[in-house]
Formats: sequence, C-alpha cells, structure tokens
Amino acid sequence: MTAPRPYALLAEITYRCPLHCPYCSNPVSASLCEAPRRPQGGGYSQTHAQAKRELTTDEWRRVIREAAVLGVLQIGFSGGEPLVRRDLADDSIQLSFQSDNADLADEIAGAGAHQRKLNAAAKIRAAGIALSLNFVIHRRNIDRLPQIIEFAETLGAERVELANVQFYGWAFLNRAALLPTWEQVNSAREIATAAKARLAGKIDIFYVLPDYYETRPKPCLNGWGQRYLTVNPSGDVLPCPTASSAIPDLRFENVRGRALDWIWRESESFNRFRGTEWMPEPCRSCPQREIDFGGCRCQAALLTGNAANTDPVCEFSPNRSVVDEVLRDTNSSSSYRPDWTYRINPNGIR
Amino acid sequence: MPMQTRTISDAARPRLAKGVRLQTDSTTGKNVLLFPEGIVELNETAEEILVRCDGHTLSEIVRELAEEYDADVAALAADVRETMADLQQRNLIELT
Repeated sequence: MTAPRPYALLAEITYRCPLHCPYCSNPVSASLCEAPRRPQGGGYSQTHAQAKRELTTDEWRRVIREAAVLGVLQIGFSGGEPLVRRDLADDSIQLSFQSDNADLADEIAGAGAHQRKLNAAAKIRAAGIALSLNFVIHRRNIDRLPQIIEFAETLGAERVELANVQFYGWAFLNRAALLPTWEQVNSAREIATAAKARLAGKIDIFYVLPDYYETRPKPCLNGWGQRYLTVNPSGDVLPCPTASSAIPDLRFENVRGRALDWIWRESESFNRFRGTEWMPEPCRSCPQREIDFGGCRCQAALLTGNAANTDPVCEFSPNRSVVDEVLRDTNSSSSYRPDWTYRINPNGIR
Repeated sequence: MPMQTRTISDAARPRLAKGVRLQTDSTTGKNVLLFPEGIVELNETAEEILVRCDGHTLSEIVRELAEEYDADVAALAADVRETMADLQQRNLIELT
C-alpha cells in the first residue's frame, strides 16, 4: 500500500538514564546499546561492533536531514535520559517528575533526583524555554493527583501531561504493582477533568487514560506507519518505540544500513500493519476501524501473543477476558503485590 | 467560548506562546503551528492571525484583513475574536 507522509520523529538518542523508574517503557533487554566510542561519520556502513552502539552525532544529523525530506515537521528527543548526551540543543523541554512529594518521588525513581529536577525546572524557566511537565500516574502516586496538579501550577509549566502508566517494557513487568484500582481511576478522572477546565488558557492539561479500564482501545499512533516513526539509540527504525521489545517476530531496519525514506515506504515492518488490510475480525468490519485502528499492536502482542489480534482492551475482542482478569486481580486486595523491579541501565550504569 | 470572546479587547496584541512555532510544511506548502509534542493544521483565519503575531493589535489585524478580503468588518472582527479566543484557550498564543 502507498505510504503517507510522516509528521513526527521520535529520536530516542540513548537508553542510558540516572533513574530507575519501574514504569519505564524502554525495553527490559535494552542492555545492549552502548555509548559511541569514537566518531564514525554519518554513512551507511555497518560493522558488527557498531551494530548495537548508539548513533553518533553525525549519524543523527543525517537521519534528521532524511526525515525532513520525508515530510517530518517535528522531532522529539527522548530516551533514556536525553541529556546524558552532550550533543543536544533545545527549544522546549519536557521534564518528568515522579510525584510532587520528594520522598515518594525519589523512592519511585530509585534515585535522589527530585531536588535536582526542581533546580532544572528553575533553570529552564530562567532561560525562557517552554516547559512541559510529565507525570506518569500509577497506583502509588495516583491519590496525590490534586497535589501533583498544584505542584505543576507552582512550577509555571505551559503544559502538563498526566499520563496513566501504559504497560510496556519495565511497566509490563511491574504491572501488578503499578495498575491502579477502579476507585482510584474514577476519582482521578474527575480530578483531571476539573483541573483541565479550571486551568484552560493557563496550563494545557493532557490526561492520558488508563486504557485497561476503557472499553475501546486507544487509536495507537493514529495508525501504524501513518504519522510517526521512532529511531532508537542504535539506529533501528520503529513504527512505535515499544515495538522492538513487544513484537519479537518483527524485524526492523537500521539507519546504518538503509535510507530512512526506503524504510518508511518499503520495509516490511512499516507495511505489516499499515492501513486496514491486515485486520482480523472483529476489526475488519468494524465501523471504528479507521478511528482506533484496532488499538495497539504491541499490546495485542504482549497480552495475546499475536500482534495482529484486536487490542484486547476492546470490548469486542475475543481476548477481552485477559484484561478483565488483570483488573479482577488488581481490585482484590488479597492479590495486590506492591513490590516492583527497578529499571536497570544499559552497561550496568547506576 | 462566548465569555472569553467578549474579554479580548481591540488593543490586545497576540504573540505566539512560548515553545510554539509557525512553520511552512514543505510537503503541502501550507503553514502549520508546531507546539511541544503536537502539530496544528490551520484554517485561513487562524493563519492570518498567526502571521501577524508580531505586535499587531486585534483591531489592526481586523483592519488589514478587511482591506485584503474586502469583507464586512463586524463579521470579520467576530471571527477573528473567536479564533483568537480559541488559540488562547489552547495556549498557542498569549495576549499582551
């Protein structure tokens, strides 16, 4: 099928990070992507030793030039912690906090980072750079949503993302500890809706729903290979940042071996779930098929073992019971397991 | 947002909010608005306002557009106010 033009590139420039958040969506097996050792130029050559190394500055420059030609209007630099790399300039910064409360925030991050983030926010403000705040919301901090919103107001952000944790990577591993209860989710929804109305015109509040509690799936990526592409630290080009770990049978092309244009238009990974032809029932004949695109391929793979299935969050999915069972466990206090596994870094960096 | 609409004065000067950028999409030749983690496609009124986010007042914008399009000033003013209120509500412009 014909490829549309992409709008946005997510540049995951490193998986390295000083924090250890248990809800990180990075691949659990990301160990494997080390810092570049020496300048290697921006060409297409690839040696075995380079295969899992982070892209160099020159390689990123080439990728960004190719993305612009392809139609990309916007690039997000992400990670890992993107500032681990020293070759980055910014005109807007998204800073994530784990909570409004320093002790809880540091416990979640598995590192003493809260105070440093406050200092960073002050510096970003002072430099006149647009500040977006991101809070990943989960069972351990969701009850503090009112305080978190108040905290965001005092930091003077333009934009605040209150994102219920999505279960990929480390978060999938730690789901039992992270997924909030019905009661928590209902209360949080009301608080977020009220805050959005109250702060309209001052702070743009973006609330990401906890999709396990929904009856229809999220319109993941606005369709596979339609608007977005991700380049990961080692140069693999992904239709979605979590696809490399969630869909093991998909093979991804690398910018060291191929031009971005070819990968976007021709590669098997980008075409596999493009459009509606690949869809099974009940998606194939569903009137919503071009609205939610069958939901999330990674979630289908993680929960049903087949990325081509309907996202099991959907009430019409034959696999919805998988999600319902998780919700049942979450909402029975006897099966709540509060312990999580902290994210560990590539190269064993701590 | 009728209430918001009434509060914007003739002397208000729209500016692009921090982190917001007006850019030409080289694929389509049209202007789009970029903001952190998002892109907005623009209707004609929004685009005419946004290219004048350089110190023009609301009444100056209306006057220029009235000349350019030979349009009814009152209807145009209402349209510009409404669009400006919407852009402000979405934190894409600030009024000074």
